Amino acid sequence: MTMTGYQNKVLRIDLSAGKHKTEPLNMEFAAKYVGSKGLAIRYMYEELKPGVDALGIENKLFFTTGPLTGTPVACSGKLSIAAKSPATGTMNDCSIGGHAGIRIKYAGYDMIIFEGKLEKPGYIVIEDDKVKFMDADDLWGKGSHEAESILTKKYGTDYSVLSIGPAGENLSPMACINSDYYRQAGRGGIGAVMGSKNMKAVIVRGTGGVKVPDIEKATDRIIELLQKDVLQEDNTFVYDSGTTAFLEACNDGGILPYKNFSDTTDPDWKEYNDGVLMEHRKGKRGCGSCGLGCGNFLQIGKAVCEGPEYESISVAGPNAGIKDPEHIVKFNQVADDLGLDTISAGDTIIWAMEMTERGIHDFGIRFGEADKMISMLEMMAKKEGIGADLADGVKKASEKFGGTDFAMQVKGLEYPQYEPRGSWGMSMAYAVSDRGACHMRSYAPNEEVFAASIPPYTAEGKGQMVYNLGEFNAVKFSLCVCDFWGTITYEIMAELLTIVTGREWKPEEMAEVGRRVLNIGRAFNQREGFARKDDTMPERLAKDPLKSGPAAGQTIPREAFDDMLDQYYKVMGWDENGCLPDELIETL
Amino acid sequence: MKRLKFNKENCIGCQLCAQVCSAMKEGEYVPSKARIAIETYYEDGDLKYKDDFCILCCICVKKCPEGAITMNEYIEVDMAKCTGCGVCAEKCPKHVIRIREDKAYICDTCKGDPTCVKTCPQNALTFE
Amino acid sequence: MEITITLRGALKKYLDGDNERKVIVPNGCTCDEALKVIGLDHKKVARFGFVAVNGMKVMINDRLKEGDELKAYPRISGG
Repeated sequence: MTMTGYQNKVLRIDLSAGKHKTEPLNMEFAAKYVGSKGLAIRYMYEELKPGVDALGIENKLFFTTGPLTGTPVACSGKLSIAAKSPATGTMNDCSIGGHAGIRIKYAGYDMIIFEGKLEKPGYIVIEDDKVKFMDADDLWGKGSHEAESILTKKYGTDYSVLSIGPAGENLSPMACINSDYYRQAGRGGIGAVMGSKNMKAVIVRGTGGVKVPDIEKATDRIIELLQKDVLQEDNTFVYDSGTTAFLEACNDGGILPYKNFSDTTDPDWKEYNDGVLMEHRKGKRGCGSCGLGCGNFLQIGKAVCEGPEYESISVAGPNAGIKDPEHIVKFNQVADDLGLDTISAGDTIIWAMEMTERGIHDFGIRFGEADKMISMLEMMAKKEGIGADLADGVKKASEKFGGTDFAMQVKGLEYPQYEPRGSWGMSMAYAVSDRGACHMRSYAPNEEVFAASIPPYTAEGKGQMVYNLGEFNAVKFSLCVCDFWGTITYEIMAELLTIVTGREWKPEEMAEVGRRVLNIGRAFNQREGFARKDDTMPERLAKDPLKSGPAAGQTIPREAFDDMLDQYYKVMGWDENGCLPDELIETL
Repeated sequence: MKRLKFNKENCIGCQLCAQVCSAMKEGEYVPSKARIAIETYYEDGDLKYKDDFCILCCICVKKCPEGAITMNEYIEVDMAKCTGCGVCAEKCPKHVIRIREDKAYICDTCKGDPTCVKTCPQNALTFE
Repeated sequence: MEITITLRGALKKYLDGDNERKVIVPNGCTCDEALKVIGLDHKKVARFGFVAVNGMKVMINDRLKEGDELKAYPRISGG
């Protein structure tokens, strides 16, 4: 059946041949996976044969929108960018804010697929149905911010710019793709895939639109939901402080990581918390179609960024033993410009700090050394000096130099800034996430800490909890709707999809889509050889008790971790090895 | 007489104003055809605002060679008289008049009840 | 006894928008009882999060001492 909201068009760009063509969107896939995250993974499953080299010519980049993209549905402006990950070898899908996703939709496409490789560094210009291949001689080697500035001055602000920095050009497995200067497709080395295709940037402008049935009535209802549900008090912390609000809650909750996850709580959190950062705020910004505006544009000293987000605050602050808010902003700015994921780069640097302090290997940097942390970023992006030893992330570095016990990662993707000994379910959520350790799949602290609805220091019930959270986010990010519409429900999701697509969606179908998206991601990884042996927990969590905070004394016993894995596999219908049975794969 | 006002400190650059304008006027979410164009962007390390919206200066009314544009409570274009000559768009200080297929499209504040104002999630647009 | 109650996010309305206030509560009362003094019954607030005393998460029925800082958070979503 036909669905409105979609453009029913995929733009396929053959970088090797310098050609492009369009084809209809696979509506069977769309009916089962809706859009954005889910649709991207289903296409990847179809088009990427197992064993493909993530930095090789056969990997593809999938820029995927959803049916809600380009409509005034609040928080619908994000774009999924997916590929096989060079950091982990698993599937990877990132979610980038800004305006690019909406402009791709207005240009007339549901999805853009990049295949092959440019002969020499270049950038792609997409304006409605026109596609141009341009030389990037004067852009290659430049920071992402300078490149975006040059392109925006040349083409105008009607174009969205998606660009990589030197990290992506050097194929760093922590390289990200930037847009609007400070928004990222951040993790899993997605920027390196773009770099491996010699693509410095993609710029896109669209003068078309999105049609929905009964548009005046549809718009009235969409705006009513914006005013009544999105802008209610429970979500307005997003405008007031953005993710900086998490810092205090994580500190008090016992999940703020300290000095490379060796402890939690920082008694000095007030020196760099949202109160301090907001004093320096110069402006607010949101993505296209946002209602909340989570972006804090601020300046401390000479350091400028839209951010910093909680992840960056934590990894450059307490987790590095640093308390200086100007350093945190500078870390954010420099990482964004180099095109490096702050989480992975930060985690690798703080691991190097601990290695040096323990005398296992001297990387020349210790906790608290803020200036060195900044210069380390540049060395890692360019794979120079000590940066060359750290550039490939904490898993590879620890395999070479030791210190694997406190190399905080799963499958090669470094740990987000939530301490699982304070929220046991998170250790399992990190382990089973579809792309390595990621907090955006199942966000366990929501239930175990912030809601106090499920006790944090036990394995009981965590399988179902992690599943429920994961199912919810999986479908939410397939519509897509941004994380920050926190009060959205399956009823609202189904109503929005019905309004926009003209097909009746029921709330139960949202749960089905979520489950299916979780399964297709796992199926992709299973085909690549991943199984229970790869759903890991760093030894530190089992061996080192926390010293302070509400979780003082906690470790996660291996039996508890294994129990949580068993529970989750059972809820998913996978076998004891964490693998999907054939009958389940066939339903996908 | 009420007119649109823009408070840039509140604007988050979501561009919902242009989306709903085009929905009401064009039957599609197509901001390139909206009668308003507001955006925020970064330039040279600073956050900038582009605020193209009708301020009811009435220059278009005065300059139209066909007398096709009138102003009572809001601007109206008599499409029978409009030839799409483009003088209004050229003279508009806010660059917010669109010429398409030989006709001029100008904001009419949704006849005194502007949808963009009702939509703006952060009260950056008001009607006073 | 006197304690300081600090509220975060959407809960601030229970202190008329103030971040914190010194409040007189019954000696040795629980966090739950102390919040009820300012009109906050956590069971009746749909998106009530958790409580912390002197910067550390505790259970809602844990008891307070003179001079404690009781902080209450709403649920926050996102990551």
